[in-house]
Amino acid sequence: MQKQELKQGIKDSIPIILGYLPLGFAFGVLANEVGMSIIQATMMSVLCFTGAGQYIAIGVMQAGGALFTIILANVLVNLRYLLFSTSLVPYLKGQVPTAIGSLLSYGLTDETYAVAINRYQGHAPTASYMAGLNLSAHIGWITSTLLGAILGSYIGNTDSLGLDFALPAMYICLLVFMTKHTSDVIVALSSAFFCLLIGYLVPAAMGNMFNIIIATIIAASLGVLIHEQH
Amino acid sequence: MSSTSIWLMIIGVSLVSLLPRILPVVLFSRYEFPELLKRWLSFVAPAVLGALTALSVLAPEGDIDISIYNKYFWAFIPTLLVAIKTKSLFYSLLVGIVIMALLHNFV
Repeated sequence: MQKQELKQGIKDSIPIILGYLPLGFAFGVLANEVGMSIIQATMMSVLCFTGAGQYIAIGVMQAGGALFTIILANVLVNLRYLLFSTSLVPYLKGQVPTAIGSLLSYGLTDETYAVAINRYQGHAPTASYMAGLNLSAHIGWITSTLLGAILGSYIGNTDSLGLDFALPAMYICLLVFMTKHTSDVIVALSSAFFCLLIGYLVPAAMGNMFNIIIATIIAASLGVLIHEQH
Repeated sequence: MSSTSIWLMIIGVSLVSLLPRILPVVLFSRYEFPELLKRWLSFVAPAVLGALTALSVLAPEGDIDISIYNKYFWAFIPTLLVAIKTKSLFYSLLVGIVIMALLHNFV
Protein backbone atom coordinates (compact mmCIF):
# COMPACT_ATOMS: atom_id res chain seq x y z
CA MET A 1 0.00 0.00 0.00
CA GLN A 2 1.50 3.33 -1.07
CA LYS A 3 0.33 5.96 1.34
CA GLN A 4 0.99 8.92 -0.93
CA GLU A 5 -1.02 7.36 -3.77
CA LEU A 6 -3.88 6.48 -1.45
CA LYS A 7 -3.95 10.06 -0.17
CA GLN A 8 -3.92 11.46 -3.70
CA GLY A 9 -6.84 9.20 -4.61
CA ILE A 10 -8.83 10.37 -1.61
CA LYS A 11 -7.99 14.00 -2.40
CA ASP A 12 -9.08 13.57 -6.02
CA SER A 13 -12.40 12.11 -4.87
CA ILE A 14 -13.42 15.25 -2.95
CA PRO A 15 -15.00 17.10 -5.92
CA ILE A 16 -16.85 13.88 -6.79
CA ILE A 17 -18.20 13.50 -3.28
CA LEU A 18 -19.33 17.13 -3.34
CA GLY A 19 -21.36 16.36 -6.43
CA TYR A 20 -22.69 13.08 -5.04
CA LEU A 21 -23.98 14.67 -1.83
CA PRO A 22 -27.17 16.19 -3.26
CA LEU A 23 -27.69 13.24 -5.66
CA GLY A 24 -27.24 10.53 -3.05
CA PHE A 25 -29.27 12.51 -0.56
CA ALA A 26 -32.13 12.89 -3.03
CA PHE A 27 -31.98 9.17 -3.81
CA GLY A 28 -32.30 8.39 -0.09
CA VAL A 29 -35.31 10.68 0.21
CA LEU A 30 -37.07 9.27 -2.88
CA ALA A 31 -36.28 5.65 -2.00
CA ASN A 32 -37.93 6.22 1.34
CA GLU A 33 -40.97 7.73 -0.35
CA VAL A 34 -41.52 4.71 -2.62
CA GLY A 35 -41.44 2.35 0.33
CA MET A 36 -37.84 1.29 0.70
CA SER A 37 -36.55 1.06 4.25
CA ILE A 38 -33.47 3.02 5.35
CA ILE A 39 -31.47 -0.21 5.24
CA GLN A 40 -32.71 -1.11 1.76
CA ALA A 41 -31.98 2.36 0.37
CA THR A 42 -28.50 2.36 1.86
CA MET A 43 -27.77 -1.23 0.79
CA MET A 44 -28.82 -0.37 -2.74
CA SER A 45 -26.14 2.32 -2.78
CA VAL A 46 -23.63 -0.15 -1.31
CA LEU A 47 -24.37 -2.95 -3.79
CA CYS A 48 -25.25 -1.02 -6.95
CA PHE A 49 -23.46 2.37 -7.00
CA THR A 50 -25.25 3.42 -10.17
CA GLY A 51 -26.87 6.83 -9.79
CA ALA A 52 -28.90 6.76 -12.99
CA GLY A 53 -29.83 3.11 -12.49
CA GLN A 54 -31.00 3.68 -8.93
CA TYR A 55 -33.12 6.67 -9.97
CA ILE A 56 -34.68 4.55 -12.72
CA ALA A 57 -35.51 1.87 -10.15
CA ILE A 58 -37.32 4.48 -8.04
CA GLY A 59 -39.18 5.78 -11.10
CA VAL A 60 -40.36 2.33 -12.13
CA MET A 61 -41.37 1.43 -8.57
CA GLN A 62 -43.34 4.66 -8.30
CA ALA A 63 -45.17 3.83 -11.53
CA GLY A 64 -45.93 0.35 -10.20
CA GLY A 65 -43.68 -1.28 -12.80
CA ALA A 66 -42.19 -4.76 -12.70
CA LEU A 67 -38.91 -5.93 -11.23
CA PHE A 68 -37.93 -7.20 -14.68
CA THR A 69 -38.35 -3.69 -16.14
CA ILE A 70 -36.00 -2.24 -13.55
CA ILE A 71 -33.32 -4.85 -14.24
CA LEU A 72 -33.61 -4.54 -18.03
CA ALA A 73 -33.39 -0.74 -17.85
CA ASN A 74 -30.31 -1.13 -15.67
CA VAL A 75 -28.68 -3.47 -18.18
CA LEU A 76 -29.02 -0.70 -20.78
CA VAL A 77 -27.95 2.13 -18.46
CA ASN A 78 -24.86 0.31 -17.28
CA LEU A 79 -23.66 -1.00 -20.65
CA ARG A 80 -21.55 2.14 -21.12
CA TYR A 81 -19.27 0.90 -18.35
CA LEU A 82 -18.15 -1.93 -20.66
CA LEU A 83 -16.65 0.78 -22.83
CA PHE A 84 -15.19 2.82 -19.95
CA SER A 85 -13.71 -0.22 -18.24
CA THR A 86 -12.22 -1.58 -21.48
CA SER A 87 -10.56 1.77 -22.17
CA LEU A 88 -8.89 1.61 -18.75
CA VAL A 89 -7.43 -1.87 -19.36
CA PRO A 90 -4.34 -0.69 -21.34
CA TYR A 91 -3.47 1.67 -18.44
CA LEU A 92 -3.95 -0.89 -15.68
CA LYS A 93 -2.05 -3.65 -17.51
CA GLY A 94 1.24 -4.40 -15.76
CA GLN A 95 0.59 -1.73 -13.10
CA VAL A 96 -2.30 -3.08 -11.05
CA PRO A 97 -2.76 -6.85 -10.43
CA THR A 98 -5.79 -8.08 -12.38
CA ALA A 99 -7.62 -9.42 -9.33
CA ILE A 100 -7.29 -6.15 -7.42
CA GLY A 101 -8.00 -4.04 -10.49
CA SER A 102 -11.18 -6.03 -11.14
CA LEU A 103 -12.39 -5.70 -7.57
CA LEU A 104 -11.70 -1.97 -7.45
CA SER A 105 -13.50 -1.50 -10.78
CA TYR A 106 -16.63 -2.00 -8.69
CA GLY A 107 -16.23 1.71 -7.97
CA LEU A 108 -16.08 2.76 -11.64
CA THR A 109 -18.59 5.52 -12.37
CA ASP A 110 -18.77 8.35 -14.92
CA GLU A 111 -17.02 10.56 -12.39
CA THR A 112 -14.31 8.23 -11.06
CA TYR A 113 -13.59 7.22 -14.67
CA ALA A 114 -13.12 10.83 -15.77
CA VAL A 115 -10.85 11.65 -12.82
CA ALA A 116 -8.82 8.41 -13.07
CA ILE A 117 -8.16 8.54 -16.80
CA ASN A 118 -7.06 12.15 -16.44
CA ARG A 119 -4.63 11.13 -13.70
CA TYR A 120 -3.28 8.22 -15.77
CA GLN A 121 -2.18 10.57 -18.57
CA GLY A 122 0.73 11.65 -16.39
CA HIS A 123 0.97 9.01 -13.62
CA ALA A 124 0.97 5.23 -13.78
CA PRO A 125 -2.10 3.75 -12.05
CA THR A 126 -1.62 2.07 -8.68
CA ALA A 127 -3.97 -0.09 -6.65
CA SER A 128 -3.65 2.43 -3.81
CA TYR A 129 -4.73 5.35 -5.97
CA MET A 130 -7.68 3.36 -7.36
CA ALA A 131 -8.68 2.35 -3.84
CA GLY A 132 -8.44 5.92 -2.53
CA LEU A 133 -10.47 7.36 -5.38
CA ASN A 134 -13.11 4.67 -5.93
CA LEU A 135 -13.72 3.67 -2.32
CA SER A 136 -13.98 7.28 -1.06
CA ALA A 137 -16.40 8.17 -3.85
CA HIS A 138 -18.44 5.07 -3.00
CA ILE A 139 -18.44 5.86 0.72
CA GLY A 140 -19.59 9.40 -0.15
CA TRP A 141 -22.44 7.96 -2.19
CA ILE A 142 -23.47 5.53 0.58
CA THR A 143 -23.26 8.18 3.32
CA SER A 144 -25.32 10.73 1.41
CA THR A 145 -27.96 8.06 0.68
CA LEU A 146 -28.13 7.15 4.35
CA LEU A 147 -28.46 10.82 5.33
CA GLY A 148 -31.20 11.34 2.76
CA ALA A 149 -33.12 8.27 3.90
CA ILE A 150 -32.94 9.38 7.54
CA LEU A 151 -33.30 13.15 7.28
CA GLY A 152 -35.31 13.37 4.07
CA SER A 153 -38.49 14.59 5.61
CA TYR A 154 -36.79 17.35 7.62
CA ILE A 155 -34.73 19.10 4.98
CA GLY A 156 -36.17 20.97 2.03
CA ASN A 157 -34.64 21.92 -1.29
CA THR A 158 -30.83 21.88 -1.42
CA ASP A 159 -30.66 23.37 -4.93
CA SER A 160 -30.01 26.89 -3.68
CA LEU A 161 -26.53 25.82 -2.52
CA GLY A 162 -25.39 25.45 -6.12
CA LEU A 163 -24.12 21.92 -5.48
CA ASP A 164 -26.15 20.72 -8.44
CA PHE A 165 -23.42 22.27 -10.57
CA ALA A 166 -20.55 20.38 -8.87
CA LEU A 167 -20.57 17.46 -11.31
CA PRO A 168 -21.10 19.57 -14.46
CA ALA A 169 -18.22 21.84 -13.33
CA MET A 170 -16.05 18.78 -12.83
CA TYR A 171 -16.90 17.41 -16.29
CA ILE A 172 -16.10 20.81 -17.84
CA CYS A 173 -12.72 21.02 -16.14
CA LEU A 174 -11.75 17.40 -16.90
CA LEU A 175 -12.85 17.95 -20.49
CA VAL A 176 -10.38 20.85 -20.69
CA PHE A 177 -7.66 18.61 -19.21
CA MET A 178 -8.38 15.74 -21.60
CA THR A 179 -8.41 17.76 -24.82
CA LYS A 180 -4.75 18.53 -25.50
CA HIS A 181 -4.75 18.01 -29.27
CA THR A 182 -7.05 19.36 -31.94
CA SER A 183 -8.20 15.80 -32.63
CA ASP A 184 -9.39 15.48 -29.00
CA VAL A 185 -11.38 18.72 -29.31
CA ILE A 186 -13.03 17.51 -32.51
CA VAL A 187 -13.84 14.16 -30.85
CA ALA A 188 -15.34 15.87 -27.77
CA LEU A 189 -17.41 18.33 -29.81
CA SER A 190 -18.72 15.68 -32.20
CA SER A 191 -19.56 13.39 -29.29
CA ALA A 192 -21.47 16.24 -27.61
CA PHE A 193 -23.31 16.93 -30.85
CA PHE A 194 -24.25 13.31 -31.58
CA CYS A 195 -25.22 12.69 -27.97
CA LEU A 196 -27.73 15.57 -28.06
CA LEU A 197 -28.90 14.77 -31.58
CA ILE A 198 -29.62 11.12 -30.69
CA GLY A 199 -31.29 12.23 -27.47
CA TYR A 200 -33.45 14.65 -29.47
CA LEU A 201 -34.43 12.12 -32.14
CA VAL A 202 -34.91 9.19 -29.72
CA PRO A 203 -35.96 10.57 -26.32
CA ALA A 204 -35.84 7.08 -24.78
CA ALA A 205 -32.05 7.09 -25.38
CA MET A 206 -31.73 9.98 -22.91
CA GLY A 207 -33.26 7.86 -20.18
CA ASN A 208 -31.14 4.76 -20.71
CA MET A 209 -28.02 6.74 -21.69
CA PHE A 210 -27.60 4.83 -24.93
CA ASN A 211 -26.92 8.17 -26.60
CA ILE A 212 -23.64 8.38 -24.66
CA ILE A 213 -22.57 4.95 -25.92
CA ILE A 214 -23.45 5.60 -29.56
CA ALA A 215 -22.00 9.14 -29.55
CA THR A 216 -18.78 7.82 -27.99
CA ILE A 217 -18.45 5.05 -30.59
CA ILE A 218 -19.01 7.49 -33.48
CA ALA A 219 -16.71 10.19 -32.06
CA ALA A 220 -13.86 7.81 -31.13
CA SER A 221 -13.99 6.30 -34.63
CA LEU A 222 -13.86 9.81 -36.06
CA GLY A 223 -10.81 10.46 -33.88
CA VAL A 224 -9.04 7.41 -35.35
CA LEU A 225 -9.88 8.58 -38.88
CA ILE A 226 -8.51 12.07 -38.19
CA HIS A 227 -5.38 10.54 -36.68
CA GLU A 228 -4.85 8.35 -39.78
CA GLN A 229 -5.07 11.40 -42.04
CA HIS A 230 -2.08 13.04 -40.39
CA MET B 1 -43.40 -3.85 -4.10
CA SER B 2 -42.94 -6.31 -1.23
CA SER B 3 -39.81 -6.27 0.87
CA THR B 4 -38.62 -9.55 -0.73
CA SER B 5 -39.11 -8.11 -4.22
CA ILE B 6 -37.16 -5.00 -3.24
CA TRP B 7 -34.24 -7.13 -2.07
CA LEU B 8 -34.40 -9.21 -5.28
CA MET B 9 -34.47 -5.96 -7.27
CA ILE B 10 -31.41 -4.65 -5.42
CA ILE B 11 -29.46 -7.87 -6.05
CA GLY B 12 -30.47 -7.93 -9.72
CA VAL B 13 -29.49 -4.30 -10.27
CA SER B 14 -26.25 -4.95 -8.42
CA LEU B 15 -25.32 -7.79 -10.80
CA VAL B 16 -26.10 -5.94 -14.01
CA SER B 17 -24.39 -2.75 -12.87
CA LEU B 18 -21.22 -4.39 -11.57
CA LEU B 19 -20.55 -6.96 -14.30
CA PRO B 20 -19.96 -4.44 -17.13
CA ARG B 21 -17.42 -2.60 -14.96
CA ILE B 22 -15.54 -5.65 -13.70
CA LEU B 23 -15.65 -8.10 -16.64
CA PRO B 24 -13.49 -6.11 -19.09
CA VAL B 25 -10.66 -5.92 -16.54
CA VAL B 26 -11.00 -9.64 -15.72
CA LEU B 27 -11.21 -10.78 -19.35
CA PHE B 28 -8.99 -8.40 -21.30
CA SER B 29 -6.07 -7.75 -18.94
CA ARG B 30 -4.05 -10.69 -20.28
CA TYR B 31 -4.30 -9.56 -23.91
CA GLU B 32 -2.28 -6.92 -25.69
CA PHE B 33 -4.75 -4.82 -27.71
CA PRO B 34 -3.78 -4.08 -31.33
CA GLU B 35 -2.45 -0.54 -31.94
CA LEU B 36 -5.56 0.62 -33.79
CA LEU B 37 -7.89 -0.49 -31.00
CA LYS B 38 -5.68 1.20 -28.41
CA ARG B 39 -5.87 4.45 -30.35
CA TRP B 40 -9.64 4.11 -30.62
CA LEU B 41 -9.88 3.50 -26.87
CA SER B 42 -7.70 6.57 -26.21
CA PHE B 43 -10.45 8.69 -27.77
CA VAL B 44 -13.13 7.22 -25.50
CA ALA B 45 -12.27 9.60 -22.64
CA PRO B 46 -12.60 12.90 -24.58
CA ALA B 47 -15.74 11.53 -26.24
CA VAL B 48 -17.34 10.50 -22.94
CA LEU B 49 -16.48 13.83 -21.32
CA GLY B 50 -17.82 15.76 -24.31
CA ALA B 51 -21.09 13.83 -24.07
CA LEU B 52 -21.37 14.12 -20.28
CA THR B 53 -20.65 17.86 -20.37
CA ALA B 54 -23.20 18.44 -23.13
CA LEU B 55 -25.86 16.45 -21.30
CA SER B 56 -25.22 17.97 -17.87
CA VAL B 57 -25.30 21.52 -19.28
CA LEU B 58 -27.86 21.34 -22.08
CA ALA B 59 -30.13 18.66 -20.62
CA PRO B 60 -29.71 19.18 -16.87
CA GLU B 61 -33.12 17.79 -15.93
CA GLY B 62 -33.05 14.96 -18.46
CA ASP B 63 -34.76 16.85 -21.31
CA ILE B 64 -32.84 18.97 -23.80
CA ASP B 65 -33.12 22.63 -22.83
CA ILE B 66 -31.42 24.99 -25.27
CA SER B 67 -32.80 28.37 -24.18
CA ILE B 68 -31.65 31.52 -22.42
CA TYR B 69 -33.55 30.33 -19.33
CA ASN B 70 -31.21 27.39 -18.87
CA LYS B 71 -29.15 28.39 -15.82
CA TYR B 72 -26.68 25.56 -16.36
CA PHE B 73 -25.67 27.11 -19.67
CA TRP B 74 -24.93 30.48 -18.01
CA ALA B 75 -22.85 28.79 -15.33
CA PHE B 76 -21.07 26.74 -18.01
CA ILE B 77 -19.43 29.73 -19.74
CA PRO B 78 -17.53 31.22 -16.77
CA THR B 79 -16.66 27.73 -15.49
CA LEU B 80 -15.16 26.80 -18.87
CA LEU B 81 -13.15 30.04 -18.98
CA VAL B 82 -11.81 29.48 -15.46
CA ALA B 83 -10.97 25.85 -16.30
CA ILE B 84 -9.01 26.91 -19.41
CA LYS B 85 -7.31 29.82 -17.64
CA THR B 86 -6.40 28.19 -14.28
CA LYS B 87 -6.28 24.45 -15.22
CA SER B 88 -7.49 23.94 -11.66
CA LEU B 89 -10.32 21.62 -10.72
CA PHE B 90 -10.69 23.42 -7.40
CA TYR B 91 -11.21 26.90 -8.90
CA SER B 92 -13.46 25.55 -11.65
CA LEU B 93 -15.67 23.87 -9.08
CA LEU B 94 -15.67 26.88 -6.78
CA VAL B 95 -16.66 29.31 -9.54
CA GLY B 96 -19.24 26.92 -10.98
CA ILE B 97 -20.93 26.24 -7.64
CA VAL B 98 -20.92 29.89 -6.51
CA ILE B 99 -22.36 31.11 -9.82
CA MET B 100 -25.00 28.40 -9.75
CA ALA B 101 -25.95 29.34 -6.18
CA LEU B 102 -26.25 33.01 -7.25
CA LEU B 103 -28.39 32.04 -10.26
CA HIS B 104 -30.69 29.91 -8.10
CA ASN B 105 -31.12 32.60 -5.47
CA PHE B 106 -31.18 35.84 -7.44
CA VAL B 107 -32.42 35.07 -10.94
